[in-house]
Amino acid sequence: MTEFQSSATSGSAVDMLGIVKDFDTFRAVDDVTLKIQPNEFFTLLGPSGCGKTTLLRLMAGFETPTTGSILLGTKDISRLPPNHRPINTVFQSYALFPHMTVAENIGFGLKMLGRSRSEIKVTVDEMLRLVRLEGRGDSLVTRLSGGQQQRVALARGLAPRPQILLLDEPLSALDLKLRQSMQIELKRLQAETGITFVFVTHDQEEALTMSDRIAVMNAGKVLQVGSSRDIYEHPADRFVAGFIGETNFLQGDLEAVDGMSGTVRLKNGVRVSAGLSEEAPRHGAITIVIRPEHIEITDVGAAGSIAATVATVVYFGTDTHIHTHLADGTPVIIRQQNRRDGSRAPQTNALIGLVLPLGASQVLRD
Amino acid sequence: MATDVDIAEAQLSHKRWLTAPALLCITLFGMVPLITVMSYSLMQPSEYGGVVPKFSPDAYISLLFQRDVFDDALTFSPDYLIIFARTVAFGAATTLLCLLIGFPTAYFMATRSPDTRNRWVLLITIPFWSNLLVRTIAIMFIIRDEGLINMIMLSLDLINAPVGIIFTDFAIVLGLIYSFLPFMILPIYAALEKVDFRLAEAGFDLYASRFQVLWRIIIPLAMPGIITGCVLVFIPTFGAYVTPLLLGGGRHMMIGDLIALQFGSSRNWPLGSAFATVLMGFVLLALYIQARKAMGVSHG
Repeated sequence: MTEFQSSATSGSAVDMLGIVKDFDTFRAVDDVTLKIQPNEFFTLLGPSGCGKTTLLRLMAGFETPTTGSILLGTKDISRLPPNHRPINTVFQSYALFPHMTVAENIGFGLKMLGRSRSEIKVTVDEMLRLVRLEGRGDSLVTRLSGGQQQRVALARGLAPRPQILLLDEPLSALDLKLRQSMQIELKRLQAETGITFVFVTHDQEEALTMSDRIAVMNAGKVLQVGSSRDIYEHPADRFVAGFIGETNFLQGDLEAVDGMSGTVRLKNGVRVSAGLSEEAPRHGAITIVIRPEHIEITDVGAAGSIAATVATVVYFGTDTHIHTHLADGTPVIIRQQNRRDGSRAPQTNALIGLVLPLGASQVLRD
Repeated sequence: MATDVDIAEAQLSHKRWLTAPALLCITLFGMVPLITVMSYSLMQPSEYGGVVPKFSPDAYISLLFQRDVFDDALTFSPDYLIIFARTVAFGAATTLLCLLIGFPTAYFMATRSPDTRNRWVLLITIPFWSNLLVRTIAIMFIIRDEGLINMIMLSLDLINAPVGIIFTDFAIVLGLIYSFLPFMILPIYAALEKVDFRLAEAGFDLYASRFQVLWRIIIPLAMPGIITGCVLVFIPTFGAYVTPLLLGGGRHMMIGDLIALQFGSSRNWPLGSAFATVLMGFVLLALYIQARKAMGVSHG
């Protein structure tokens, strides 16, 4: 364990500076600048084809950037081959060596680094304990279940004590139950080893629950970097807001700006206060975003409320989703936690008032 | 469950007669000649070819010894042993060189895009479109003293006089390589095609150099194909007859030529049969070793 910490505290993080990657005429990564902190669980989140896997392969060394550079600590590694980078990868397909045992797979990296047989054995045993596969060292990897193969792949990536561990959608092949337990397992491993994890996924829930920070990507660009809470509650633009969780968009005009918040006059004349990020516009027609669970329901006509008609009420067990629309037809979804008496849920076709609490809504970047 | 098995078994036994044509062919054209050859090898030669049905171990004795014409004394004679050793040596050299040429070729083919791979397989099989004899004679025209290679080297002033390539051991091995190379390339290609090259990427990521990736990941995974290729090249070289005859000029016999000679002009069918039997024993031994190695590979 001590070696893990020493490598982690040496301050090595990844700096990606103006990375562009072209495949023929297709630009997979478009001017990405990212700073990944040491000991961080960092997630690249985006739909398939957004360039997140290409970014990961650039860090691993399987691709070289068309322009831009990748720094590991202070060292430029952009043009180093993968075997000269202290970075390991857990592949989506696991890519375990089928002709080797579990222990041989885990020890492969150390063997290639020329470590002694005894040192390899000690580390492999430690890794088997870490991923809870004690006593399975001599099994053939082809005899293991999907979840066990996944853990061997993790142990293989961690065994050489890399400065960065890259994980390329490693949970996508597992069923829901196993995926959820592996999410917790991954968090534990990251905390115990202190190695920087860079995790790639298209699953927003996975990203939110596991990451220290998330970079949301689309069409080769990084749209927003922030903590799970940041990204969820203060999405920077329409794509981020729509990609992560359910959300409501409302049109309006920005009337007054006061530091980090502004007064927005919605189309139906109601004025609400909405958060303003640094990149948000300071005047004119804007869109605000508000999460369904942040909207409060009140009586129609109450001061500062927006009138809405209930279209459908869907019961989800822990909560109820109320689909409504405003007078101009804008759909708005409200999510309400269910109470024991069940009395608060409105009826279909009822006219209700919606309240957007202070600070719950956010003005989107163009 | 039990009824399912019963039904399956009933269907199986019902269809067992479908194997009859194959069994008949194997028995009639495989087993019968084999037993004939083995029994001929233990009989006496008839004067004008054929055999006299009397038991005699002479054929096997004369593999290693020469019987003196006057006093019947046996003296050790390595002549046939040398031909046998040469056959093994040529076979081993051909196999090794085919492997060295074939593996990179197969690797190249397997790493092409799926649509172009089939085109490469087609190119590899082109030699099979024409007769082996024709192809061997074509080689003669290329390597003979007035042939293409010597002409080019002479016109480039690289040499003053033609280099004797034809009728040498080198020419024989060259001919054998040419004849059997596809049998090495195709099984290795088939094995490499199934290899997941993401594993190479994983090895590269885990600090292996390009050579280590090849040696520790690609080659072990392609091993079944490599072993099959070696067997498919090594064993047929034992039966090579046309190639050593034409390219070696009959001066450097291989065992195939020797057997042909015994059934032809030498009219010693028992000796030819004895050669064939010993050769078969050797091939079976080679196959046994290959089978054990292949099992070892698949069981880690």
